[in-house]
Amino acid sequence: MIDFYQVSKDYGSLAALKPIDLHIDSGERVALIGPSGSGKTTLINLLSGFIEPSFGNLLIDGNSVANLKKTKQISRVLGIIQQQFDLVSHLSVIHNVNAGRLGEWGFFKSLLSLINPIGKSEVVDALESVGIEPKLYQRTSTLSGGEQQRVAVARVLIQDPQIVLADEPVASLDPYRSEELIKLLVDLTIKRDKTFIASLHKLELVREYFTRVIGLREGHVTFDVPVSKLNEKMIAQLYSLDAS
Amino acid sequence: MDQKLAKREKYSGQSLINSRKLLTLILLGVIFFSFNQIPLHEDLLNPSGMKALDMFFSGLFSIDVSRQFLGLVINATIITIAFAVCGLSLALILGVPLGILASGSLNSRSYARYLSIVVFRAALAVFRSIHELVWAWFFVAAFGLSPLSGILALGINYAGILGRITSELLQDLPDAPINNLYSNGASNGQILIYGRLPLIFPDLLSYIFYRLECAIRSAAILSFVGIAGIGMQIELALDDLLFGRVWTLLAVLALLILAVDLWSSMVRRHLAS
Repeated sequence: MIDFYQVSKDYGSLAALKPIDLHIDSGERVALIGPSGSGKTTLINLLSGFIEPSFGNLLIDGNSVANLKKTKQISRVLGIIQQQFDLVSHLSVIHNVNAGRLGEWGFFKSLLSLINPIGKSEVVDALESVGIEPKLYQRTSTLSGGEQQRVAVARVLIQDPQIVLADEPVASLDPYRSEELIKLLVDLTIKRDKTFIASLHKLELVREYFTRVIGLREGHVTFDVPVSKLNEKMIAQLYSLDAS
Repeated sequence: MDQKLAKREKYSGQSLINSRKLLTLILLGVIFFSFNQIPLHEDLLNPSGMKALDMFFSGLFSIDVSRQFLGLVINATIITIAFAVCGLSLALILGVPLGILASGSLNSRSYARYLSIVVFRAALAVFRSIHELVWAWFFVAAFGLSPLSGILALGINYAGILGRITSELLQDLPDAPINNLYSNGASNGQILIYGRLPLIFPDLLSYIFYRLECAIRSAAILSFVGIAGIGMQIELALDDLLFGRVWTLLAVLALLILAVDLWSSMVRRHLAS
């Protein structure tokens, strides 16, 4: 489903990601781990189409992400969850969730929905399935960090893409809420048959909830194994402080 | 590690005077030159002016609060506020859409974006580079002494300022929410109404309040184009050397500004909660 062919990204003389080949199948749950600055975010941003590869081809079902991004089709393919900063905090909850449908809506329908929200019952369903009270008309900035994160998940549910990407989705949450959120995402992606790719720092969550783990260090893939094969030596090498 | 070394090498060879320091030096030179141009050696105070100043301040002790005059003041205040609100409304209707166009946020293709930014930025620059008093003079020539001339003058100058602020706020937004809307499949227009405008709303609103204060002051000054506002009353009182009345009018003007300030902080507090 997802294919990286010698994809690399550099910023001037700084190589954020060195050429990598990668193949991810539909339905996989892939965790990206590695020290800060190892290229995890670069990889996710490339997949999201936020940035374009310096070299190489990045294809999803045979289409390049850059081309997908030019069409509204991208919303059918990719959904993205970052830390809570990706919501529009001064809009009410319902509009932030409904943003997941902007790909299907035209301009006037979306404008109308700002005045008289469309599809209320689906938004309520989505908010209930992420486990927060449907406070539809509350301003999003008044919710707690954890609740905002769930609103972001509800938006992806409404959007209903094939692939869910998450860039350190739990970096700003406490351990208990982190696990809850990852569990929620994993349950939802299994139930709806999605592919799930997330960058994470918490190894116990990786072991518990993912099927495959990719270690990144200084823009290289150092290992790419099923979670069951992940061992302490690999982790020690990945995070060691010596210059390799 | 290599990078750090490279950085250190790069900076060790740098001379003491870099371009930023040079700019600071030039600016300091300009400030010094400007002060030098002020003719301080001539008499700063006009000796006969002292008497007028004395009269002006003794007016403080004979503030005119007679019922008849207060009626006049209230009327003038309402007219001034109405004038300021009309001018600012025109500025919003004109300035915000122009600011959106000048930010280039409606164009994805780089050349269209560039063109939009250049053309509309230039238009906004023309609007605001001409002072409202000069615009008023133009419009009085065109439409005669009427409130319309004043409102147009205020509206156009303020549209230039509000448009520029709008476009700058739109250009300085964080990437994350906008990128996410793109991945939701949103078009530029949809991103504007679901992302950019809501994101700049609080900042824009507090700036609009600040501009309302300015508009009230300008409305008072612009009364020479035929609006019987506070400014006209001040002018009349000054002509008649009725300084007690001048002080009343100045106090009302100050109270108006204070009221807008209070209102704006109330709204901002509500938005922050």
